[in-house]
Amino acid sequence: MRISQAYLVLYNALQACGWAVVLATLLYGILRKDLPEQLYAAAGPLTNVVQGASLLETVHAAIGLVPSSPVMSLMQWMGRSNVLFLILGPIAQLHASWWSVLMLATWALAEAIRYPQYALSSSGACPAWLTWLRYTMFIPLYPVGVVAEMGLMMAALPDLAVRKPYSLELPNPYNWAFSYHRFIQVVLALYPFLWWQLYSSLLRARSKKLALQPPKAPNKSQ
Amino acid sequence: MKLEVVSRSGQTIATLDVNPDAPVSELKKKFYGLKRKYYPSRQRFTLPLKPGEKRGTVLDDSKSLNDYGLGDGGKVEFKDLGPQIGYSTVFFWEYFGPLAVYPLFFFFPKYLYPHLEAPKQHHLVQKLAVAYWSFHYAKRIIETFTVHKFGHATMPIFNLFKNCAYYWGYAAYVSYFVNHPKYTPPNEKISLACLGLALLMQLGNLRSHIILSNLRKPGEKDYKIPRGFLFNYVTCANYTFEIWGWLLYSAAVQSIPAYLFAITGALQMTQWAIAKHKRLVKTFDGKDGRPKYPRRWIIFPPFL
Repeated sequence: MRISQAYLVLYNALQACGWAVVLATLLYGILRKDLPEQLYAAAGPLTNVVQGASLLETVHAAIGLVPSSPVMSLMQWMGRSNVLFLILGPIAQLHASWWSVLMLATWALAEAIRYPQYALSSSGACPAWLTWLRYTMFIPLYPVGVVAEMGLMMAALPDLAVRKPYSLELPNPYNWAFSYHRFIQVVLALYPFLWWQLYSSLLRARSKKLALQPPKAPNKSQ
Repeated sequence: MKLEVVSRSGQTIATLDVNPDAPVSELKKKFYGLKRKYYPSRQRFTLPLKPGEKRGTVLDDSKSLNDYGLGDGGKVEFKDLGPQIGYSTVFFWEYFGPLAVYPLFFFFPKYLYPHLEAPKQHHLVQKLAVAYWSFHYAKRIIETFTVHKFGHATMPIFNLFKNCAYYWGYAAYVSYFVNHPKYTPPNEKISLACLGLALLMQLGNLRSHIILSNLRKPGEKDYKIPRGFLFNYVTCANYTFEIWGWLLYSAAVQSIPAYLFAITGALQMTQWAIAKHKRLVKTFDGKDGRPKYPRRWIIFPPFL
């Protein structure tokens, strides 16, 4: 195995473990009937680490280590990181929201399937059922995930309007104004379209990867 | 001879009777006669994929059918390019927006910045900026109809909306802040110097466009090596001047949206420049009597 391949296997394996722990922490807490803020306190920090580390995937794409588009990879990373680090993290009231639990749980479940599939594919030994799982579970998980992300952003709006974080007002020497509150409103409006692009490309990839047969033409002799 | 027209999934769409030495444009006319929905500029024909090919050879309008080795019973693959619109039409509308939209914020602050007290006079920088911006887009429109020679006649109609959204959107975004009542002008002398240099860049860009336009004689369709002026050192010298022009404009007005606009444009131009440079290097390989493409910067010395 070449060093770059070994590195990818290691990276994906570590991410797989990280997200598996996040998932297990959440499930354990939910079974114990913990409150959302307790669940966030238990699973949040590790989620931040694995999500932050996943920026590496953009680097992998940029240097050609994997065949993905670095731009797409970066956009996806920024979308999730925005919600996790800039919105959920700083706003304490949101830790107590079930939207946050729903979001972390759907992310963790999807990733705990995706990364093992990548790790095993990189080492050339991925079982067919895992590939099937990776290309099928996203179908329910992604819509739930995007609803949870949007729910969190909407819940954050009142706080953002008052606190005005990451914003710039005129006059200033950059001759620019930026309202993060307004920015999130625009993101919310665009989210369904951006999400659909990702979801439909995964659906197309699913047809190819699972080698689904096109519908057979009607047999004239019958 | 008979040619079979197939779709990309392999189904036969039509069988056409054509002359072997007829140009491809004749094939398109005949196909249009059969399928009235697909006017010629919407049609794309390719030869069937050869082993190892990802994309079949595209049939050029001016070449003849037997140039492609097409004989009786041969197959060509058809693709619908979608509704088409003329290049100059798109260029006109995408440049018209900035020419019309940017000055609105300068001349009608009462309506575009309601609830804000506008200063009695604009700063000198703002006045020169609106003049520069307007000159730039007027120049682009004039070039569209008098200088540019387009390699393709049409593009998909979706591009009209995409391009207009980009140009019109950015024009409003930049203009809103540069002409804002709370605009903070930078050092006037520096701004004037930057705009003066930017104007020189525009003239450089114009000269580059004229050189490019004169590369092909009427009817010629082959690639040429651009020479003279900055082209001796940079493949896409026209883009070099354009990028410098916008960077200098941004430095003159000192506004982040202007820099964002300059960077976005530079990124797109870089993508195009890399493709063009690669194409020229591949075409002019120095073999079979062809000249070898000289060592040149691609778009922006000393970086690329």
